[in-house]
Amino acid sequence: MQASRARLFKEYKEVQREKSADPDIQLVCDDSNIFKWTALIKGPSETPYEGGVFQLAFSVPEQYPLQPPQVRFLTKIFHPNVHFKTGEICLDILKNAWSPAWTLQSVCRAIIALMAHPEPDSPLNCDSGNLLRSGDVRGYQSMARMYTRLAASPKKG
Amino acid sequence: MVSDSIIPNAFVPSAPKDSGKKKRTHRSQRLKQCKLDARREQWLSQGAVKEKGSKEDANGARNSPPPPCNSERKKPLQNLETGQRGGTHEEENEKGSLHHDFDSDSPSNSPTGNSVLGGNSPGNNFTGSSSSSSSSGGWCSGNITEEEEEEEDEDGDNCLEDWEAMADALAATDESKQEIPNDGSCMESESSEGRHEPVGRLQSSSCGNFGFTRENVKQECPVPPPSPAPGKSRAWRPDDEFRPQSLPNLSKQRSFPKTERRYGQGGLPWVCSTAVNVPSSCPICYEDLDVTDTSFLPCLCGFRLCLFCHKRIIEEDGRCPGCRKPYKHDPVEAEASARGGSLTFRLARSCSMITRS
Repeated sequence: MQASRARLFKEYKEVQREKSADPDIQLVCDDSNIFKWTALIKGPSETPYEGGVFQLAFSVPEQYPLQPPQVRFLTKIFHPNVHFKTGEICLDILKNAWSPAWTLQSVCRAIIALMAHPEPDSPLNCDSGNLLRSGDVRGYQSMARMYTRLAASPKKG
Repeated sequence: MVSDSIIPNAFVPSAPKDSGKKKRTHRSQRLKQCKLDARREQWLSQGAVKEKGSKEDANGARNSPPPPCNSERKKPLQNLETGQRGGTHEEENEKGSLHHDFDSDSPSNSPTGNSVLGGNSPGNNFTGSSSSSSSSGGWCSGNITEEEEEEEDEDGDNCLEDWEAMADALAATDESKQEIPNDGSCMESESSEGRHEPVGRLQSSSCGNFGFTRENVKQECPVPPPSPAPGKSRAWRPDDEFRPQSLPNLSKQRSFPKTERRYGQGGLPWVCSTAVNVPSSCPICYEDLDVTDTSFLPCLCGFRLCLFCHKRIIEEDGRCPGCRKPYKHDPVEAEASARGGSLTFRLARSCSMITRS
């Protein structure tokens, strides 16, 4: 319990120090609770998520480095591995492939990578998965782009 | 005259050491000339103080056609660089003959004594140099403080450049503490140029007329410089007498694991020699790794972590964070972590089997 707090505090300092290291990731800690984090990630370029900013909610367990943080999308996203309603993410490193050597920052990076490389064979969003599995890449891309524009793009005016 | 004044100088230090250096005299002579020029320019560029200027002029007239001093003076930075380059060049070229360095400065410091006496009595070098030392002694005693200051200044400059180069080479640690000793070590490694000369001169001036003692001093003085290898400006060695007392004794810590090996758990590989590229903090809890941790290599993949985290991982899912392969349980560890840990481990396994079936 104390270890997770110490580790999160160190990670917080690391994030503060290397703020400009990764311009695609903005990781902020809740003011009152170090076990709650929020991240803003930019949609990777040359994907339908380009131009969007997606918000992630981290909930860190007390056994943290040994157990993975729980992460979900707060921003609506059309992605085969993200639950459309709850924002739950199907990512192996957040489940059984977690390693204590990972950090919140590296989890963000992994999620960005997942956005660029969807895994339609283990879908949480069946519509999206089915589109990709049936080979309708164009359909998937236009849907994803539409939701990116609707939910993840900064409002104009 | 030029060669006359120089050859004896080259012979003075090498003669007592060994005879094999004779063939090198020609080269060293050239190098020395180069170095002399560089040093002179360096001094001149630093705005050569009063009488030293006149001495240098005499020196220049004796050794080589006088350089365009005015234009040199305008570009002190460049001169500094050339001076340093000359120095390092020489260091690289003749590792063993650092006393040449040392000696090469004596004519520039006591130009009158050496040039005259060297020319007059090339036969007995010892008395020649001794009398030159005595003649230069009076001059030196007057000027030594000023000289030292200047040389330290230039050492500081060299240090800065050297330090920057070193910082590029080594991954510079952010502790400002380390900068100070490294700076110092720079000074020491460059000592062939600056540091030890004032000492030698001080002693020579205090020794006065005893030529042989001066020779001894001479022989002793150049001995320390080779110890920090040329070009490599490393930190203090533990047995270095110039080493500040405030420095932590890292070497002691490094040798610690060897004696502590018995505390380790039986079959685990305890690698002491590879302790060089060990991370300074545990990648799991980010706490600093202590001596025991740094010598602890729980997995063949090379992923290191502190014993505390290792124990917690063993108790929980038992896989190496680096390669995600299960840690090999050695009997001692299993016993130490009580039966609870292994029990839950087994339980988890059976659970997974149940869910699967």
